[in-house]
Parts: sequence; C-alpha cells; structure tokens
Amino acid sequence: MIRTVLLAGRAGLHLRAAARIAGAAATLPAPVTVRTMQRPPVPADSVLALVSLGALCGTELILEADGDGAAESLANLADLFATDGDVPRV
Amino acid sequence: MTTNMSAVLDVRAVRLHEVAADRESAIHRCADVLEEIGAVHPSYREAMLDREWAMSTYVGEGVAIPHGLDMSRDLVRRDSLAVLRFPGGVEWEGGRVTVCVAIAARGDGHVALLSALGRILLDPARAEALRAAGDPAAIVAMLEMDET
Repeated sequence: MIRTVLLAGRAGLHLRAAARIAGAAATLPAPVTVRTMQRPPVPADSVLALVSLGALCGTELILEADGDGAAESLANLADLFATDGDVPRV
Repeated sequence: MTTNMSAVLDVRAVRLHEVAADRESAIHRCADVLEEIGAVHPSYREAMLDREWAMSTYVGEGVAIPHGLDMSRDLVRRDSLAVLRFPGGVEWEGGRVTVCVAIAARGDGHVALLSALGRILLDPARAEALRAAGDPAAIVAMLEMDET
C-alpha cells in the first residue's frame, strides 16, 4: 500500500523534524518506509535514515506499508509529514 | 542530492584530541572552532546551546551534531562543518559521544549536510572510520568520498 505526501516543513526534514516523525512511526501498528524520487526506501522509525533522505520543503515523499494497520499507519505519518512541526498548531 | 562536503570542511576545522568535561563544554569547543575559521558570528554559540537544550543532537554511533536554530542562519558567514573528536568521550543525552560534527549552514544547506552525514553514519564501517581516523586529512578525504 502506497501513499504520497508533500513535505510541509519550511526548513526541510531536519533533525528535530525527523525525530518527531520517527518517534511517532515507532508507535504505529505497521512498519512504514519512506523514499523520494532520488533516494531508496528507508525505515520511518529511524531518525538518521529520515535525515539521510535530504528532503526539502515540497519534496514528494512516497510512503509504503503492508499488512495489518498499514492504512492507519500511512495516514498517521502522512499527516505528520504534511504538517510543519516548527509552527505550533492552534 | 549531491553535496560536496569537502567544500565545507576545512582541514583546520578537524580537531582530533579534544577534551570536554560535559556536553556544554563540548558545544563551546565546537563553537570556538567554527569561530576560529571565520564560519560564524560569535552569537552563533548561543544558538547552538539553545538548540542543544531544545533537543539533544546525539544521533547514535557515538556522534552528536551540534548546530544552531533555523532563526540563527543569519549568524552563519559561510556554510561549514567542524569535526571534533573527544577520545575520552563526553556524556550526552542519548549516549556517550566521541565525535562532534558541528554544522553551520544557511537555508537548505543544513538539510543537505545532514543528509550526507546521515548516510555516512548509517554505514557502520564509515561511522567507525570517522571515529578512528588518524589525521585531519583522512577525515576530509572520507567526506570527499561521499559524492553520491
């Protein structure tokens, strides 16, 4: 199962942003991988792997998961990637 | 993305025999080196400390990557890295650090450098080489190899 999302964070997928997403990914029912058009898939629950993608604001991210909870896991992470974590939600 | 890390790592910014009593002292040493090579305004030091207290910059493999905040980008004069090795180790939130890779970068340069460093550290052999390299030129050469 695949889902694509555009990265929202204005400063790109920096360390704090990656930590926020990896932390959430670790709690999801299905393991999720993330890739870009340039970089092969990496596990979403690894901070280093996420920053290694070098994703800038607006980069298309391709999320993939399979099995039980895949849809829920993809929806959850897609929401996080589509939200700028540096801007507090009101 | 192609990032020429060697272009931002001056051999003068590689220090192999550093000593720091704690995490804060290690950050100060990183800021000292970035200042010495003319990479940052002196106020960048405060941004590095603020960033560190906001969330540990420990990334695993005995490596921390101290850097400033997005709002401190104007304090960066020239995108640069500094590599400081602490053979005795420094207690960090998250683990024991033997290498600090300090980052000073404006705009998108920051994410590009993080990406290149991330790929090195995900490779256990290269992460070990970074911790064990015997001279500054070897570390610069190692980063030059990362042209993928």
